[in-house]
Amino acid sequence: MKDSISKEVTFNHPIDTIWKAITQAEEISTWFIQADFKAEPGYQYTFVASEENNCTNITGEVKAANPYTLVYTWIVENTDVETTVTWQLETTENGTLLRLEHSGISNYSGDTALTMFTSYSNGWDKCMVALEEHAQKMVHAG
Amino acid sequence: MQDKITKVLKAIADPTRREIFHAVVVTATALSISQISGQFQISRQGVTKHIKTLEGAGLIQITSQGRERYCHANPKPLEEVQKWLQFYDKFWDDSLDRLGSYLDAKKEA
Repeated sequence: MKDSISKEVTFNHPIDTIWKAITQAEEISTWFIQADFKAEPGYQYTFVASEENNCTNITGEVKAANPYTLVYTWIVENTDVETTVTWQLETTENGTLLRLEHSGISNYSGDTALTMFTSYSNGWDKCMVALEEHAQKMVHAG
Repeated sequence: MQDKITKVLKAIADPTRREIFHAVVVTATALSISQISGQFQISRQGVTKHIKTLEGAGLIQITSQGRERYCHANPKPLEEVQKWLQFYDKFWDDSLDRLGSYLDAKKEA
C-alpha cells in the first residue's frame, strides 16, 4: 500500500510567481486555505478552516523554505498524526514544474484515521466547494 | 463498518504484515503458514501472530487441511482504505487546479 501521494503539474508561469503563491500567507489564503503562514523554518503555521462549514484546521511546522523547496508538517487538528507536505519547483522548457508530495499517510491508523475518514468525507467537500467558487470568481473578475 | 476500517488500517500499518500480506497476494494458490514462515527472518510464532492480525482485518482467510493451516488473500477490505486515501489524492488535485486558476487570473489582471 502506497504511503504517499505525489503530483506533478507544469504551470506556464515564472518560477518566482509560483514560489510566492505557495509561500506567502496572503496568496495562500486566496487560492488554498485562510493561512497564518511564514516561509521560515520553525514557524508554527495554521491553515484556518471556515467554522460555518465545520471544516478542520490544519497546523504544522515549516521544516524548510529555500527557493524552490518548501517542506512543512501537516497535522489535522484534534489528531496527533504528523504527515509531511513537500513542494518543489523547477524551471523547465515548458514552464515551471511543480512537484508535490504528501507523505506519511499510512501514519493514519486506528481511531485517528477513522475520525478523519468520517469528518473529511462530510466536512472537507464543503470547504473545497467554497474555495472553488472563490477561484472561479477570481478568474471571471480577471 | 467503522471497526472494520480501523482493523484494516492497523493491520497494514506494520511493514512486516504488509510484506506477509504481499507474499500471500502474489501467490495464486494458498500458502501454508510454514511456507510463509520460511520467507521471513522472524519466528514462526511471530509470523502466526501477524497472520492472526491480518485475519482479524479480513485480509487473510485461513483454512485447515490436516495439521497444516493455509492462508488465502482477500484484498477486498483494502478498498475501504483506498477510498480514504483517494480523499487526499482528490484534495491535492483540486488544490493544484485552484492554484492554476489563481495564477492564470493573476496574470490576466
